[in-house]
Amino acid sequence: MDALGISRHRSIENLTSQNPENSASSDVGLWPSLATQIIAIVGVGGFDSLYARSVFLTQSQFTWLAADCEIPSDDSRFVSLTASLDSAAPELARAANSLLLMTFTDIFASLVGEPLTARILDSAWGTGGYHFAEKDKDEDT
Amino acid sequence: MIKNISIRRLKTGVPGLDNLLGGGLPEYSFNLLAGPPGSGKTTLAHQIMFACAGPTNRVLFFTVLGEPALKMLRYQQQFAYFDVAKVNQSIRFVNLTAESMKGDLDQVLNRIADEVKAYAPSMVFVDSFRSVVKADSHVDQWGAEQQKFVQRLGTLMASWMATTVLVGEYTETESQSSPIFAAADGILWLSQSMQRNSMVRKMQVVKMRGQAQAPGLHTFRISDRGIQVFPRAIVKPGLAVDFEATIGSGAARIPMGVPGLDAMLGGGLPAGYSLLVVGPSGSGKTILATEFLAEGARLGEHGVVAAFEKSPSQLLGNIKLYSMVQAGQVGVIDTRSLDLSIDETLHDLVDMINRMHAKRVVIDSLSGFELALAPEFSEDFRGSLYRMVAELTGMGVTILMTSELEDRYTDLRFSPFGSAFLADAIVVQRYVEIEGQFKRVISVVKVRGSAHSKDIRLFDITDDGIVIGEALSGYTGLLTGRPTRGPP
Repeated sequence: MDALGISRHRSIENLTSQNPENSASSDVGLWPSLATQIIAIVGVGGFDSLYARSVFLTQSQFTWLAADCEIPSDDSRFVSLTASLDSAAPELARAANSLLLMTFTDIFASLVGEPLTARILDSAWGTGGYHFAEKDKDEDT
Repeated sequence: MIKNISIRRLKTGVPGLDNLLGGGLPEYSFNLLAGPPGSGKTTLAHQIMFACAGPTNRVLFFTVLGEPALKMLRYQQQFAYFDVAKVNQSIRFVNLTAESMKGDLDQVLNRIADEVKAYAPSMVFVDSFRSVVKADSHVDQWGAEQQKFVQRLGTLMASWMATTVLVGEYTETESQSSPIFAAADGILWLSQSMQRNSMVRKMQVVKMRGQAQAPGLHTFRISDRGIQVFPRAIVKPGLAVDFEATIGSGAARIPMGVPGLDAMLGGGLPAGYSLLVVGPSGSGKTILATEFLAEGARLGEHGVVAAFEKSPSQLLGNIKLYSMVQAGQVGVIDTRSLDLSIDETLHDLVDMINRMHAKRVVIDSLSGFELALAPEFSEDFRGSLYRMVAELTGMGVTILMTSELEDRYTDLRFSPFGSAFLADAIVVQRYVEIEGQFKRVISVVKVRGSAHSKDIRLFDITDDGIVIGEALSGYTGLLTGRPTRGPP
């Protein structure tokens, strides 16, 4: 994994742990904005395929994680994930969600490249003060 | 006086394409980019999009069924024009698969309208447009709904002042019946053809309303830089050299760099002429061509060589030529591909001639040139060569072409391609047997519009180059290869 990928992982860790007083499932809020951006580009089918594989891979570490992605409605896409995280201990739930996000973005980046992934993550989460694209990183340093 | 509306033409960023279109893509036009699968439609659309997109020129790219967007983004990033920084800045990808799958064209149009209103793009691409309208129909035919959709889409884009490019897979027969072909302001047709393991890509501007496009089929190539079009050379009126005017006005003659040859040519080769040097293998054609370039270099005239028979390393094994290339006096065109088109070669030549301000061009040899071309271009070699020579001489450069001529002593030919007619001057080299030795002879066969020597003269190739000897005036039957002494 290159520097952008490592930085992406670090940013996801920070994003999922920035409000430790909140319940872990509140971090599920990162998913809808990410889904909006990805679906706009690759379509619902493209997003759901990537999400299903990410859940499958994450379940090898967090076997209790249930995140049914067969629900077609945008509003209810992450209901199953929220319920699953709510049922776990906060620390575990946060780690599982973080890994799920990392796995999802890893797969996406391996298909379309880190720079394009970073731009899309900026569009999804940029308002949170996190910058993924290289140019913005340079400006930060 | 009220001035008529002037249509701005958008530069496509695709080398050679603006020439074909008649200056660029007309602003606010509604265009169709059509062709069979694999012909380069999506690549062309992306290349145009990335070239046009900027802070004041936002672009919406709708992806529909067909190539999955993930794959498209993956593969398109292999091209140099893909600028990630423009994604979500001046370029927005929108996936229309869900709406298209439902088969409701109104829903598709509404989504397009919503996105256009929200993003206010200057350009809109739909790839594949064919998928949008096909999803609405179980049969592959245009119904009233599809026609209405095209009409409304065209009107919508015009009212939002968005230049539109629809990308679609169509066959040639469909192009005569599909209403999109009638509704479009511009149609770009891409195709590819295979012949004897050689693949050639071609592009045609079928129509481009309001401007004069370049007619005919034009070859293009896809490399890691994207698409490059090689507009077909067309002999323009007045481009061909007016020989009588050239000679009559006492136009400059250029020295050949071989002592005695200028005199044989009637005082050197008229500038802007094409000279064909024919002879059997090993007779010294390439050496003569090298001397021609060396003489130019000596006089400060740069040269360009397109060598089709030798690899660059073989070619540069010629010390004299190597020195000129190293000194920047001569440029070398890479010509080793076997699927070239004449227009691609001409493009490379013209490009290097302009860059080097070259005055002399060598094509060594026509036989190798024909071999390097894709088979379908070999069939019209003569016609294509004529266009190429006319274009080059029209630029004012002087051309020396070599051509291998099998030594047949029973028939006298100057070129295996029947291309002698397109040369303004011809020099022939042959082997003859004199007193048990193979000797080389040289003669000037023609110099259009000029007197020239009729002698057949011996010549030798020495370390100092070509040395022309005496005229063989005491022999007859020289061209039979077995001359005899004495009067005819």
